[in-house]
Amino acid sequence: MDPVIIEKISIDIDREEVMRLLGRIDSEAGEIDARVVRAVDRGIEEAGRLCEPKGIYVVARGKDLPGVGIFDDLERMAFCVCTIGSRLEDKVTSLTTEGRLLDAVILDSAGSAAAEATARYMDELIAEEASKTGLKTSCRASPGYGDWDIREQKGLFSLVDGGKIGVSLSESCMMKPRKSVSFAKHIDKKPHRLRSENSCRNCDIDICPYRISDIQPE
Amino acid sequence: MREHLKSCAQAVLDGESEIAEELARLTLEKKMDLLEVIENGFVAGIREVGKLWEEGILFLPELVMGAEAMKAAMELLQPALETEGSDREKVGHVVIGTIEGDIHDIGKTLVATMLSANGFKITDLGADVPAVRFVDEAEKNDADCIAISALLTTTMPGQKKVIEELDKRSMRSRVKVMVGGAPCDEKWAAEIGADGYAGDAVAAVSLARSLTGRG
Repeated sequence: MDPVIIEKISIDIDREEVMRLLGRIDSEAGEIDARVVRAVDRGIEEAGRLCEPKGIYVVARGKDLPGVGIFDDLERMAFCVCTIGSRLEDKVTSLTTEGRLLDAVILDSAGSAAAEATARYMDELIAEEASKTGLKTSCRASPGYGDWDIREQKGLFSLVDGGKIGVSLSESCMMKPRKSVSFAKHIDKKPHRLRSENSCRNCDIDICPYRISDIQPE
Repeated sequence: MREHLKSCAQAVLDGESEIAEELARLTLEKKMDLLEVIENGFVAGIREVGKLWEEGILFLPELVMGAEAMKAAMELLQPALETEGSDREKVGHVVIGTIEGDIHDIGKTLVATMLSANGFKITDLGADVPAVRFVDEAEKNDADCIAISALLTTTMPGQKKVIEELDKRSMRSRVKVMVGGAPCDEKWAAEIGADGYAGDAVAAVSLARSLTGRG
């Protein structure tokens, strides 16, 4: 199947998510300093201006993915790469250099929330497409999480040309721009739970700021 | 004096950089005892910030604001302290950076800021730093400690290379090594022969203090 490229994605940056990434685990906890509230609002607004969310995915067989073959028995999968571009992280770097660490930290977290929102958009798009043919999709699994080794990222990038949306892979398998997400989903009448989804499901740290919000510990 | 010390600590705790600066200026104008103001005022404030962070009462922006307020005060007081030739205990010097192949920067910068706010002298090498450079800079600056961040399992082995380079130059006994970053833990630190692991910026301050006996 030809790759599907989405050039302009409209996302909302979730304020609660930004707060959570900044370490505010309990949203009901005491009142937040007004200066922090203003700085977070400014950060989210600026992130909205700087983000350029894009995504690309291909549908292929699990065994088409080069590497150790953890998805070999899955007939139909979607492999996706998405990003918010590099403008936001360039700004974070310049804020850090200027010594404006508070603004840098907040903008960085807003960027992470934006990248997650972009991934969620692509995730839903893939699920929607699958549903048109009566199929469902699994949760997302990403290289570097759970038992899917980050080095397998190279295989994913050989299937999905991240370069078409400006995402490249370094020798150490890090995506550039940093605020990018890659993932796979199983597409089937009864999709499997991909093993690496279990990283959040099996983890006891229920106050982790990095927990995937829709996966709770079992 | 007691009130002044209390205000200095409170300014840091509240993350009020301008007030902290103002109080530092007042300290100089009134020729107050610099050591006492630093130790029992500003340092007391930043230690309280660290404690509240560890207890989960403060969250990241408040921690950063506290560190920035401390930094603002110390930028005014430190030169005066040096001119005065104060006998304040020599601070530890930490060379810090993110290892080669890894361009994650902000977590490492937070650690550097907290260390600096707690009195450590910092040489921040940035991100994507080759192992050899960590050791070159530690040698050049006669540093007490090297702090190495790695955010990827693929770049973690670079932390070990720094230790090997220290060994090669017979510097290992005088330079402590601490590691941090999402995939690292105590076990990894022990495996590569580092002196310790810190999971966040506040833990890094405690670790640096215990490793160097300074700061």
